[in-house]
Amino acid sequence: MHKLKLTALAVATSVLATTAPAVLAADDLKITDKPLELTIHMHHKRYTSYDENWPVEKAACEWTNVCLKNATIGSNTTNSEEAMNLLLASGKLPDIVGSGRIKDVANQYGPQGAFQPLEELIEKHAPNLQAFFEQNPAIKSSLKAADGHIYYLPYAPDGKYGRAFFIRYDWLDKLGLEVPDTVEEYENVLRAFKTQDPNGNGIADEVPYFARQWEELIRLVTLWDGRSSGSDTYHDYYVDNGQIKHPYAEVGYREGMKNLARWYKEGLIDAEIFTRGSSSREYLLSENLGGATHDWFASTAGYNDSLAEKVPGFAFKAMVPPASVSGVQMEEHRRIPVKPDGWAMGGTNKHPVETIKYMDFWFGEEGRRLSNFGIEGEQYTMVDGKPQFTEEFLASGNVNSQLYLIGAQLQARGYWMDYNYEIQWSNKYALEGIDLYESGDYLVDQFLGVAFNEKEQKVYDRYAAQLRTYMLERQQAWILGTGDVEADWDDYMKTLNKMGLSKVLDVMQSAYDRQYGS
Amino acid sequence: MNNSVQQPNVALKSIVKRYGDVEVVRGIDLEIADKEFVVLVGPSGCGKSTTLRMIAGLEEISDGELYIEDRKVNLVAPKDRDVAMVFQNYALYPHLNVAGNIAFGLNIRKVPKDEINRLVTEVAEILGLTPYLERRPADLSGGQRQRVAMGRAIVRHPKVFLFDEPLSNLDAKLRTQMRAEIKRLHKRLGVTSVYVTHDQVEAMTLADRIVVMADGRIEQVGTPMELFNNPVNTFVASFMGSPPMNQLDAVVESNAEGSFAMFGGQKIALPELEELQGADGRKVVVGVRPEHVFIEPTEDSSPIKVELDLIETLGSEALLHTHVGDTPFVVKAETHGDIDHLSSIDTIYIPTRRVKVFDGETQMAYGFVKAEG
Amino acid sequence: MADIGNVGSPTENTMPNVQVSGKPTFSERMQLLMYRVRQDWQIYVLLAPAIIWFLIFLYKPMYGLQIAFKDYSVFLGITGSDWVGLEHFQTLFGSDQFLRAVRNTIQISAWSLLFGFPAPIILALMFNEILKETFKKTAQTIVYLPHFISSVIIAGIIITAFSPSAGVVNTFLSWIGIDPVYFLTKPEWFRPIFIGTGIWQEAGFQSIVFLASIAGVNPSLYESAVVDGASRWQMMWKITLPSILPTIIIMLIIRIGNIMEVSFEMIILLYQPATYETADVVNTFIYRQGIQGGQYDLAAAAGLFNAVVAFTLVMTANTISKRFSRTSLW
Repeated sequence: MHKLKLTALAVATSVLATTAPAVLAADDLKITDKPLELTIHMHHKRYTSYDENWPVEKAACEWTNVCLKNATIGSNTTNSEEAMNLLLASGKLPDIVGSGRIKDVANQYGPQGAFQPLEELIEKHAPNLQAFFEQNPAIKSSLKAADGHIYYLPYAPDGKYGRAFFIRYDWLDKLGLEVPDTVEEYENVLRAFKTQDPNGNGIADEVPYFARQWEELIRLVTLWDGRSSGSDTYHDYYVDNGQIKHPYAEVGYREGMKNLARWYKEGLIDAEIFTRGSSSREYLLSENLGGATHDWFASTAGYNDSLAEKVPGFAFKAMVPPASVSGVQMEEHRRIPVKPDGWAMGGTNKHPVETIKYMDFWFGEEGRRLSNFGIEGEQYTMVDGKPQFTEEFLASGNVNSQLYLIGAQLQARGYWMDYNYEIQWSNKYALEGIDLYESGDYLVDQFLGVAFNEKEQKVYDRYAAQLRTYMLERQQAWILGTGDVEADWDDYMKTLNKMGLSKVLDVMQSAYDRQYGS
Repeated sequence: MNNSVQQPNVALKSIVKRYGDVEVVRGIDLEIADKEFVVLVGPSGCGKSTTLRMIAGLEEISDGELYIEDRKVNLVAPKDRDVAMVFQNYALYPHLNVAGNIAFGLNIRKVPKDEINRLVTEVAEILGLTPYLERRPADLSGGQRQRVAMGRAIVRHPKVFLFDEPLSNLDAKLRTQMRAEIKRLHKRLGVTSVYVTHDQVEAMTLADRIVVMADGRIEQVGTPMELFNNPVNTFVASFMGSPPMNQLDAVVESNAEGSFAMFGGQKIALPELEELQGADGRKVVVGVRPEHVFIEPTEDSSPIKVELDLIETLGSEALLHTHVGDTPFVVKAETHGDIDHLSSIDTIYIPTRRVKVFDGETQMAYGFVKAEG
Repeated sequence: MADIGNVGSPTENTMPNVQVSGKPTFSERMQLLMYRVRQDWQIYVLLAPAIIWFLIFLYKPMYGLQIAFKDYSVFLGITGSDWVGLEHFQTLFGSDQFLRAVRNTIQISAWSLLFGFPAPIILALMFNEILKETFKKTAQTIVYLPHFISSVIIAGIIITAFSPSAGVVNTFLSWIGIDPVYFLTKPEWFRPIFIGTGIWQEAGFQSIVFLASIAGVNPSLYESAVVDGASRWQMMWKITLPSILPTIIIMLIIRIGNIMEVSFEMIILLYQPATYETADVVNTFIYRQGIQGGQYDLAAAAGLFNAVVAFTLVMTANTISKRFSRTSLW
């Protein structure tokens, strides 16, 4: 009965909100009659403490009658894990705990009583969350701890695209080349960059393929039907038809590595890719040396504006993924729909119902808009029923930083990002690129992670890190040419199994089945 | 002095040492004969150590000339001057044992091993260090360390020994003992020695000749007895002898009986001196050594009323600390095993022939005879 | 001892009238202690911060060492976590990579001891020979400088300097006709580069303690040697070095105690999977293990192992030094 009423109310408010002024809508968002104060620990590397004066928080407090009070521990460090440990060690948890990288903590200490299980509360009192989960069942599954409970609500990114293949279109034009469609063409283009002096300085100093993270070199194994990761984290496991696999123990990877080693040797890859580091893109592009990379849409496309004067004709734009040897066009990287950041309910919280309603508020229309865009009339205005950032706000500097300052887009909160907020300030080249990627179906499903039970965790802890160490050592050795992937492969696989790969895959599989199985 | 007979072994000619604009040694002329033991004495800061270090070659000579055995050595490196030096704090190498310390200089000079052993054994024997050859300096007593320091100098058979206050770190008893030992050693080895000290007792006991220095200059050179009996000025008078010479400010007055020094209504008869002729009314300083004063009337002496403050007993002798007017006056008297008879003294007797007279202005001695060699 | 009551001024609380005959009882000793604390309280106040620091930051944490033998949960706390015996040690020693890390740690430490330890001594001796004061000061400032630069920047400098395309080292090599070498991905080059960097960064600063020690050498030792005819070289060998030998030995013992502590940030900044073979040390190994989810218990086990090794080494070095050179830490 109660639930029904609430749902009805929520629907009513969301209908109202689009037409009526926000103030009127807010009146119906009240969770309690009397104002209720809840304590919160909120820690993120960009904002190490909760601020009761954030305009967004003031609005939320006014609308819901639930007001948060700062109880953050460890504000003097920017390391959220450290702050979390201090909080846990103190033994007294506030009503709400919000933090970067809360997932492991919530899943590990939730079962021990540090946090309250949320799924029943959600079912009874949180229509917005309920709706969100119904739309995204995989996200719901990914939240489950090993005991089957949900202990935290995540920051859920919106939008699909992250990284893309970028190439110097002006160099292609100069050399009379087409945008490469296949791996062979891609190779030829890179070789042409190397040998035909597209920057025209008479020296073969071009760096055909470069990357800020050397792992983006390994990403290219997808061109030979290999995989480099199953998620937005490097070297992660991936799911192949319900089967957990490690990308670095598959044949496609071997093929890819064989060819990448060849490319590296031939100079198609930045010789210093392992040490050049995060400034490589800035350096190689501005010096007119870099030809192609695999990097984020927004920031990479931005160079078309910033280098327009320095490098005449500069056109560094996205291209669709070249077809692999088997003809597959795959963009392995995408925005993951759920992040390990978010918030949880303290185990000693005396108001679980109000708290879950409060958390639910942020997944409702008003809450989502508030957390994404800030305050109406300040940061945005409604245009055709949609929030639109004001010109002044967009001109006032880095949008994300501005939003943090008012308490919006806080990833130490469980909320649902609205990709529209980002489109409004994206570079036109980035949007162009995204349109390009929208035209095909290049993305692959992401592995959203598993929660281990204690036994599985032990197995994982014992073998996983060392396996990765060994894999990466071999990986670099093969690229650098101090080992030969073909010759080493059998030995490599044998060693992996000796080091416990199959055991790790087994526990991953059992955890995966438990979490995502029917 | 016997430099007329022998060539001087070390000769300093108008030696000057300057640090920037500050002159610390202001022209020293000194000739030291072969085998002679010369002591440089003076208050701290008088330039005596600097002079010694210039002889050693540790300080550059700013001006003047230095000869060792007729060779001008101003620019000769220390090691080529053939001198050996004993330092106040011994300068022993803490990481070497006694034998190693003694042999250090020889090792540096690459003397053959056998020779080194022979020399070290010999020197250790001379200094009574044989039982300690294997010990480190930290395990030795002060006197033993001092002996090692000397051993290190002796072993090289240098032409000149230089001592820089070598005994000042020892306690009184050891100092007396070592003094005697140094004297004996010098007799035995007969090496020219220059010895710096601020302790006039050391100077008196050790020296063939004493050089009294003050403020970078030589005040007086002479045998210990010459300096004791015939100080050139009030400074030397007050510096030599322990306790020092009593000095009273007075005014000269003459009558038929002779000259007198008048002060505070009392008078002391003065010896006949050329400078006192017609010197009535001139200010002078009257000097009398404590040991020359009598406490009973004697012939040719002037009685002086004094007030006794304190009796300091030394055993067979006692020091009577008295004052005349505002001027302290010390008297050394025999005790004959009892000091009771001293406690009632109110008059002392100053023998005229022992009285020294110094000019009140220049502080120079009247009737001073420059000692002949 | 019975006379101690006379030491204080008469107005002060005099000590309790303790008549000591034979061994003082506990309460007598306490009385005596309290008396002394009252009498010299200023000195004890000065001592207090150090003692408190030791208790809070060095002794109290020792209580936490037990998590090396527990399945530690931050939330349950040290006492609430279950005992697991030697499981963490078994995990560590069952791992080839851990053993490799131990080997690498010892090798890097041993090599940097061999080359890095004498460097500041040599530097100090060289500074001591410089007579011109301004030149000496300038030279000292220049060699101290790297110490004050953060590791991140130092690593950046090193990476740039050894870069195959633009680095000075390879530029120089190309002049003498050698092909560029990608040094930082070569396991055989990691140790020389790392140790060299360490020397460049710290030798100057570390030389200060030796310079101080040299300044404490009695100048008359040198004068005596000058008179004896020693050259500057001889004086350095026969006087300066032996005189600062106790300092050298103490520093060496301390250094040996830190043998398991390889500069962790610097390695993290300079190493690559390609160079793990020689570069991965215990601390970096633990760091990578720890990423998997706050394995404090495992890290504590490794830390305990490090501490035990270091403690053994220090004890051994100290004993040897005590026996042969009569210099020791305690």
